[in-house]
Amino acid sequence: PASYALANGHGGKAATSPAENYHLARRRTLQVVVSALLTECGFDSAEKAAVETLTEMMQSYITEIGRCAKAYCEHTARSIPTLSDAVVTLIEMGFKADTLPLYAKRSQRMVITAPPVTNPPVTPKALSAGQKRTHPAHIPCHFPEFPDPHTYIKTPTFREPVSDYQVVREKAASQRRDVERALTRFMAKTGETESLFKDDITAFPLIAAQPSTIPYLSALLPSELELQTLEETDSSEQDDQTDGENAVGNMISDDPGADKENAMLPLSAVVPAAKASEDNVIDNPYLRPVKKPKVRRKK
Amino acid sequence: MNRKKDKGFESPRPFKLTHQVVCINNINFQRKSVIGFVELTIFPTVVNLNRIKLNSKQCRIYRVRVNELEAPFIYNDPTLEVCHHESKQRNLNYFSSAYTAAVSAVDPDAGHGELVIKVPSELWKQGDDLKVLKVYIEFSLDQPKGGLHFVVPDVEGSMAERGAHVFSFGYQNSTRFWFPCVDSYSELCTWKLEFTVDASMVAVSCGDLVETIYTHDMRKKTFHYVLPIPTAAPNISLAVGPFEILVDPYMHEVTHFCLPQLLPLLKHSMSYLHEIFEFYEEILTCRYPYACFKTVFVDEAYVQVSSYASMSIFSTNLLHSAMIIDQTPLTRRCLAQALAQQFFGCFISRMSWADEWVLKGISGYIYGLYLKKTFGVNEYRHWIKEELDKIVEYELKMGGVLLHPTFSGGKEKDNPTPHLHFSIKHPHTLSWEYYKMFQCKAHLVMRLIENRISMEFMLQVFNKLLSLASTASSQKYQSHMWSQMLLSTHAFLKSISNVSGKDIGPLIKQWVDQSAVVKFFGSFAFNRKRNVLELEIRQDYTSSGTQKYVGPIKVTVQELDGSFNHTLQIEENSLKHDIPCHSKSRRNKKKKIPLMNGEEVDMDLSAMDADSPLLWIRIDPDMSILRKVEFEQADFMWQYQLRYERDVVAQEESISALEKFPTAASRLALTDILEQEQCFYKVRMQACFCLAKIANAMVSTWQGPPAMKSLFTRMFCCKSCPNIVKTNHFLSFQSYFLQKTMPVAMALLRDVQNLCPKDVLNFILDLIKYNDNRKNKFSDNYYRAELIEALTNSLTPAISITNEVRTVDNLNADVRLILEEITRFLNMEKLLPSFRNTITVSCLSAIRQLQKNGHIPSDASLFKSYAKYGHFVDVRVAALEALVDYTRVERSSVDLQWLLEMAQNDPAHYVRHKILGMLCKNPPFTKTTDPAPPFTKTTDSALCNEALVDQLWKLMNSGTSHDWRLRCDAVNLYYALFGLTRPSCLPLPELGLVLNLKEKKAVLNPTIKPELGVGPVMDTPASIGIHGVGMSYSAVDEEPDPISLGVCGVGQPPLSLKRKAETPLGSPPEPGQILQQQEDDARGGRFKIRFNTMEDEDIDMETVHDSQAFIHHHLNLLERPSTPGKEPPSVEQSMLSMPATPVPSFPKETTPLSSKHGGEHGHHHHHHHHEHKKKKKKHKHKHKHKHKHESKDKEKDRERDNSQAYSNSPASGRSLRSPSLSD
Repeated sequence: PASYALANGHGGKAATSPAENYHLARRRTLQVVVSALLTECGFDSAEKAAVETLTEMMQSYITEIGRCAKAYCEHTARSIPTLSDAVVTLIEMGFKADTLPLYAKRSQRMVITAPPVTNPPVTPKALSAGQKRTHPAHIPCHFPEFPDPHTYIKTPTFREPVSDYQVVREKAASQRRDVERALTRFMAKTGETESLFKDDITAFPLIAAQPSTIPYLSALLPSELELQTLEETDSSEQDDQTDGENAVGNMISDDPGADKENAMLPLSAVVPAAKASEDNVIDNPYLRPVKKPKVRRKK
Repeated sequence: MNRKKDKGFESPRPFKLTHQVVCINNINFQRKSVIGFVELTIFPTVVNLNRIKLNSKQCRIYRVRVNELEAPFIYNDPTLEVCHHESKQRNLNYFSSAYTAAVSAVDPDAGHGELVIKVPSELWKQGDDLKVLKVYIEFSLDQPKGGLHFVVPDVEGSMAERGAHVFSFGYQNSTRFWFPCVDSYSELCTWKLEFTVDASMVAVSCGDLVETIYTHDMRKKTFHYVLPIPTAAPNISLAVGPFEILVDPYMHEVTHFCLPQLLPLLKHSMSYLHEIFEFYEEILTCRYPYACFKTVFVDEAYVQVSSYASMSIFSTNLLHSAMIIDQTPLTRRCLAQALAQQFFGCFISRMSWADEWVLKGISGYIYGLYLKKTFGVNEYRHWIKEELDKIVEYELKMGGVLLHPTFSGGKEKDNPTPHLHFSIKHPHTLSWEYYKMFQCKAHLVMRLIENRISMEFMLQVFNKLLSLASTASSQKYQSHMWSQMLLSTHAFLKSISNVSGKDIGPLIKQWVDQSAVVKFFGSFAFNRKRNVLELEIRQDYTSSGTQKYVGPIKVTVQELDGSFNHTLQIEENSLKHDIPCHSKSRRNKKKKIPLMNGEEVDMDLSAMDADSPLLWIRIDPDMSILRKVEFEQADFMWQYQLRYERDVVAQEESISALEKFPTAASRLALTDILEQEQCFYKVRMQACFCLAKIANAMVSTWQGPPAMKSLFTRMFCCKSCPNIVKTNHFLSFQSYFLQKTMPVAMALLRDVQNLCPKDVLNFILDLIKYNDNRKNKFSDNYYRAELIEALTNSLTPAISITNEVRTVDNLNADVRLILEEITRFLNMEKLLPSFRNTITVSCLSAIRQLQKNGHIPSDASLFKSYAKYGHFVDVRVAALEALVDYTRVERSSVDLQWLLEMAQNDPAHYVRHKILGMLCKNPPFTKTTDPAPPFTKTTDSALCNEALVDQLWKLMNSGTSHDWRLRCDAVNLYYALFGLTRPSCLPLPELGLVLNLKEKKAVLNPTIKPELGVGPVMDTPASIGIHGVGMSYSAVDEEPDPISLGVCGVGQPPLSLKRKAETPLGSPPEPGQILQQQEDDARGGRFKIRFNTMEDEDIDMETVHDSQAFIHHHLNLLERPSTPGKEPPSVEQSMLSMPATPVPSFPKETTPLSSKHGGEHGHHHHHHHHEHKKKKKKHKHKHKHKHKHESKDKEKDRERDNSQAYSNSPASGRSLRSPSLSD
């Protein structure tokens, strides 16, 4: 009953979904089966309520078999129940499994036509690639088949990278140039231009010079691109440095070459940590709070 | 010499200023106006102080009170308009003397000022107790053109959001432009400064910020500064803006300010300032004199660096990020300069203008010491050589630079620098270029003194001066002590003699009291028999800018056995010097050769002369004389010197010498230097250009690939693919600079057809193509800019079919490639701007070169758009430079007008200064006196017309009164275009004799000309000048003969050899003597011409003109004030009843009129003076009076204008004032 309620509730919730049709069809099939079994047992007619009850019982029985077989299967770390799972389940449920073949081959059984399947939710087959692999010898054939090859077959889709330095540089250079040219042409076409030639103003178009209100900002501040480059090189260089230091250890205390260079143009001075901590207590008149006006100053 | 021997400082004023309050209540950025008041506390030093003269320019003064009593005042600024009324004279001699007179008339160093306050009689009648006076002046400034500069970007938002700021600026003492003061470097006082600004702004000023207080409405705040150290008004400054504040992490008393968004740059750029501080404090053994220091970085700065008491204002363009290589040393140099001037210039001030050289010298000298310490000895010596070359070149071209001019009171006629077209009596009349050279010479002379007395003593002297000053500065109100903070030449020399015990008199006499440099020519012969080097050193001391040197000179001879120093005496008559050699010429092959520095090296001696042991000879290797040496030695000696002499100066000298020896050996020596990594990088850079020149000279015999190509490939290209340059990393700066320079030099190579070799061009194009900076932590913008410059250098003139229009179709294939690159670079710059837009700058000059060489149509519109306000200043200057060049080549008057318009109206002062400077350097046409081919003369150019003369005259006469530097630039331009005399393009003044002259012209041509050319020159040296004048009036343009090139001032002959030869050689000209001579010359000349032409008319226009004016002057005598330019001699002065103020000594400019009529003038003045006594009260109506005259003038015809020009000269202001206040 619990599972029925569950199934019912489930069905109710999915009342508007296409799966509802499926559930209804299944239930009708079960009713047909119950009716056939009743006929087989010699009943001429049955009350609708009785058929319903029997259907319900049948359904819960089958559901229980499925649930239980699934549990056994998962218990052995598999995903799809096998025959043995079903057998163990039947035994567990008190059914004599060995009577099943005989029962299946009984003479008076009625053949029920397969229920008309309406719109079974078909997952479209993904692209098929290559031959489906068969089971290797040590795996019983009842085990699930291999999935579609595309899910596990690796096919290299790139070519071998060109490692020739000259070609790489050449490509990088021309690629950059093409991008730049295309970009500047685009900008020139979409905006105002100046021209060097009077006869053909489209030849060598120059993007018109636009005065800016604060010209020093763009001229002095590094562009985002440059900053990005700087970050990248900085981090990579730091890595290099630490690597180098680790490798060399403390054997070389100072590099005369580097010192010389620093002496000539130390481009970045690093504030010592001690100094930095002192910053918190700086007494500088420009950092002091602005005083409130004194009342007596008023005239 | 005539230096003041007395120890103390004598104030030219009858009072002593002790304290000044400056309070600016309101700064309105919208209207660009300022309102405030000042209060000066003064102690009278005379019993009856009845008037106070202060300096004030362009301020509107509302009221003046002395000790709470309203005081009458007169505000008159004669420099606003130098020559009043329309003057048709238009000659620069006249203008210069008038301008000098005008500046003198308000010179605070002579006790004068624009603002004269009459002390209320209640105060001075009180009797003889010398009471403190408090002078309170309320003033405002509305849209100031000078003194304060407002930068207000035109965007949305509040002023703070817009980054609007204002700052003070000026050339020399210019504080009077923004508040009334005694604008002299020698009047010290303590200061209280208050600035009320918007709450979002910061006001940075001199001294200590005591407190910041909100106003009652809390929308503004007041910054209270106190400067307890006595400071001169010109050292006071102010900067207000929404600055970002950075407290120096090393020195918390140092604060840096920059405009919004630039804080990261500020942090980086200021990260080494503490090192400079430490350095100066250590060498001077003296603490930084002020309690705090502030640096402010502003946009549109007047100069890159300007120092004021306890603060410096810098151009914001000096800020840079860590990615920029090239700007780093430049910025550091600027900081070091600013800091050096804090000690000498701000803290220690000068006593008078004549002592300026000491302060500039000392600050420049200690800055040099900083350079030596930070950038190394090589860099330092290279810099000294550079500076020496600069000053030598300038002096030889323009005439001498005089460090310590003496103007003895009695002899006003004495002009120490007659060769200049401006007066050096005042800083404000100096040409900017001259002042730069003056500073350069000053520090070089300090170095000479150091050579003489040792650095240790030198630093002791500085320390002594500083400690004297700091003792004096801590004295309160004992104002007489404060004069210890003023440095004079005399005190400095005395201190040197006390400390070192050495007499440096001759050195000072030679380089400080006298102008000009020494020019040596050296050659030698080796006497094998005597084993003696016979050295001959000759001097040229007759050309302009040269002087004679007598004294010791060091000669270094590198022989096989070592290097030997010899000190020779240069004497009057000895040219030859015998120097015994130490080594025998037989050489020991195994032996290493010892060098000067003790190093021993192996040399390949096969190149040298087998008979001589001499490897190379150097004259004055330590640069201890301000000289130019042209020394002759064999090419192999230069090559040895280049390879083995370790001094960078010697290496650079040999590189310049090797240009004249295009041989394979020279090539090898240069290539070796280029490859040698130990060699100083600037030497290697210079070697690149020399190699290019040599390769061009050897073009027919050159073997192998183009010069430097394989070298560059080896150094900077990939091993596996030599045509591809390595990706940039720039880790070694030396290599970086070389990598930048080599392509530029290579592009100068030319093949037999005089074209840039195809190889080289492709190579450079490949460098651009494969340039890859992605993995570099430094920016490559300077490198790319240099590559564009290389492309520019590769350009050669297009093969042109005459009058063919340049079109895209007939574009040369190579040029097309170049143009592609330039277009792409210039366009990319719009999307990803480079630091300081270096790439745009290079592209603009490249485009101009393409135009100039006829590859693309010549057109100015592109440059005009880049020159507009709103572009980065470097870009504007580059565009303007191209425009100036365009104007000259195309002779476009439209563009010249456009440039002049901008020079008058552009908001950025620096750009205006730059335009005039560039027009001077590359003038659209030149004056006829220039030794240029006859067809580039003034009169040939359509640009040279009356309208232009008028325009420029107006510009320098009244258009530039707010900026002394700009006015002097305008004077320079006028000089460059028209010379000293009346521009020849002007129509003849409408006087009777004009017709005669015109008649004469027809007569003159064939017959009299040769006579004129030969005859008079023989007799009077000045007649060249006379001829010039005569000829120029007779429309020279039709006769491009050499004689007419000699146009020059009457009585002011060019410094011709002839005249020089007549004066005693080598000695300073006797004061007065020159003038006397000139007077004679002038008269003689005039006479001569009359004689020659055998006609009655006087072709000396000026004389006629003047005498006309003279008569007119007599007629107007009763109404008109006299001119200060014609101040009576001192005898007359003593008769004036102005005992309190020393009468300024006006220079008697050497115009014939002034010399001729000197006597009469005295008379006028005298007369005039009495006249004024009678009509004291009339002066209040002075302005009306003037107006009347002006309107009258407009009605009257030219003739009248002419005559008035003379009588209305500059000094109406002065004479207006002086009699009115005398009792």
